[in-house]
Amino acid sequence: MKGPEVPPLITASPGGRRRRPAGEPPPLPRHIDHSIRWYLALTGIAGALWAAMSVPPVLGLITRADLAVLHAVAAVRTAWLTRLMLDVNPLASPWTVRLLAFGTIAVLVAYRRFQHLAAYLVIFLAAVLLLSAMTREIGRMRPTGIEVLGPWQGYAQPSQPVATLTLALVGVLYTLMPAGRWRNRGKQAAGIILAAVCAARLYLAVDHPTDQLTALIIGWPLAVVAFWLAVPNDVFPVSYRGGRKAHLDIGGRRGAAIVTALDHQLGLTVIGVEPFGLEASAGSTPLRIRVPGPGGGETTLFGKLYALNHLRSDRWYKLARTVIYGRLEDEKPFSTVRRLVEYEDHMLRLMRDAGLPTPRPYGFAEITPEREYLIVMEFFEGSQEICNALVDDRVIDDALRVVRRMWDAGIAHRDIKPSNILVRDGHVLLIDVAFAAVRPTPWRQAVDLANMMLTLALSSTPEHVYERALGVFAADDVAEAFAACRSITVPNQSRSLIGTDGRDLIGCFRQLAPPRCPISIQLWNIKRVAVTAGLLAALAAAVALFDAYLSVAGLL
Amino acid sequence: MTPRRDARSLQRRARRGPFGVLLATVMLAVGAALCGCAASSGTVPGCGDPLRLAIIAQSVPSASYLPCISGLAPGWNTSGFNPTQDGTSFLLNSDRSPGHPVTVRLAATCNASGASPSPSRAPGVLTYTRLDSISPRFAGTLYDVFPGGCVSYGFDFAPGSQIALVEQFEDAVGLYSRQQLRLILKQKLGVELNP
Repeated sequence: MKGPEVPPLITASPGGRRRRPAGEPPPLPRHIDHSIRWYLALTGIAGALWAAMSVPPVLGLITRADLAVLHAVAAVRTAWLTRLMLDVNPLASPWTVRLLAFGTIAVLVAYRRFQHLAAYLVIFLAAVLLLSAMTREIGRMRPTGIEVLGPWQGYAQPSQPVATLTLALVGVLYTLMPAGRWRNRGKQAAGIILAAVCAARLYLAVDHPTDQLTALIIGWPLAVVAFWLAVPNDVFPVSYRGGRKAHLDIGGRRGAAIVTALDHQLGLTVIGVEPFGLEASAGSTPLRIRVPGPGGGETTLFGKLYALNHLRSDRWYKLARTVIYGRLEDEKPFSTVRRLVEYEDHMLRLMRDAGLPTPRPYGFAEITPEREYLIVMEFFEGSQEICNALVDDRVIDDALRVVRRMWDAGIAHRDIKPSNILVRDGHVLLIDVAFAAVRPTPWRQAVDLANMMLTLALSSTPEHVYERALGVFAADDVAEAFAACRSITVPNQSRSLIGTDGRDLIGCFRQLAPPRCPISIQLWNIKRVAVTAGLLAALAAAVALFDAYLSVAGLL
Repeated sequence: MTPRRDARSLQRRARRGPFGVLLATVMLAVGAALCGCAASSGTVPGCGDPLRLAIIAQSVPSASYLPCISGLAPGWNTSGFNPTQDGTSFLLNSDRSPGHPVTVRLAATCNASGASPSPSRAPGVLTYTRLDSISPRFAGTLYDVFPGGCVSYGFDFAPGSQIALVEQFEDAVGLYSRQQLRLILKQKLGVELNP
């Protein structure tokens, strides 16, 4: 049953494996683009300008320079050009900004990009508050000594219409547009719109040039830096290609970092890395890793790349389960990606020690500290998903003994479903132990048995599976398993296959087993009540605060 | 950024979840709402801050006087400062008249018909008062009319404390000479206030 073990090259040199010295960057260090550095420098310029404007003589100097530019622009004023600029100026009206902002929010909600939505709301509000504060603090007059041709409202510095329009456009670019060609085209279009608006407002002498400069800096560079910090594209890419949003791109710098990390940290010489079984995984990016085999050939390992977005998904998932299932699913979310991957590695080793047919662990590698980790394990070469395999008595007995062994070891897998049960040479193999628990509730262990029996019955008959189960479990154990079994305790994949199958498998097992009252799983305790009430209150508060938000952010 | 600092910042970021981000939004919104930082509102310039008064002068280029805050009695504050090319308006709020602020507006012209003359508040300024009602509310408008503009003060107070409230808002709003502002702008910034 055991596959060939890949020898890690831990002892390749007499001094042991190379250790990353202190100060040396990790395999995939946090990358700061040149544009981000420039944007930060520009933000500094805005800060310096504001500081300078608090000194009247310097403000006078800046104002006179601004007026010189405006007078030069005013020299080309003609009737038709004035009409044109008056037509262009409303592009920066509050209605344009509202249209863009509400459109962005609507699309983000429709595509369930809540991380981007939260970042957008925070950044937009923070920028508007900064604008408002600086406007009041500086209290700059409109251009003087020149005829102001357009409408205006409030102090001049920084230009509120230019800043909010820029913010709205940047919001569209960095939350809705996929990075690359589309975003670059969008930047060009936004640049043209902003150039037209700024030119019109300078022509109409509504703003000073420096009013527009600081507004553009707040609206573009500062906002881009904030989006880069809140929703970095390499972790939260914007994509409309469908599929799971959790998967990371493993090409480019990340691909090279994976190869380096596996080499330096696990002593594995990687021949190739490719995504594998993406459709079946939502909580990580699964990879097939090709390495040199023991006999000089090539063999395959399985890897799971975990990142911040997986950690956050895990938190939401567990919160939802706490509300839906209550005390029996009392789970604590992981605090960091490192903890998440450490736990899975620990479970792999523990289950292996307990004699369970789980993948052999090879440890995990740090790609970016506290941000991305890759756990590596045995790839069950030549195995088949149980639904596609021949399920004879040997397989049924083996599968049931696996559950028995988990019970004996005080472990629950908690995600027993066809895609996590493989068959090779008539033996059952168990994968995806990330949800497993040590010393679980008895209910959870019973549910594992029910899910295994349902999976086996899909390729056989409930009567036959029940008969074989009595060789490993007591009839009361089976009765307990199906007394605890509900639609929500059956994994989605199994539920879907049972629906397609058409047989009432749960009902059949209940009839076969001794009668037993259903075990209540919708248990309520103080924590569950508090979490549910807290969520409802948060929802109500969110609705009320959204109204306040729109008002404060100037979107009403 | 050094690797250690990088790791620390990433740790901090890792701990932030959707809750953290939503909490930040909520706190920002609540904080902003509480401190009145709404985009359209702001505090009214004081009479001792002439550089900020320039925007009021620009809102009514003909006005020879500009309203400003000379001093607020305890319990009073300002809000809704809104200078535009058509004039300037703001609100004076008193905790003794909640929900009924005094609306102050500078415009090029006022319709003071039916108003009675009152003692003048500054040289060259004619002051009028028109009472729309005495009971159940003490409501009306006070006008400061001067060359090129006027300032109106719409009030609506509950009876009992109206005399003190009227005196307080009259004392709160001063009138700043445009001529003086022009000189200061020339001196401090080296720019001309047009016209």
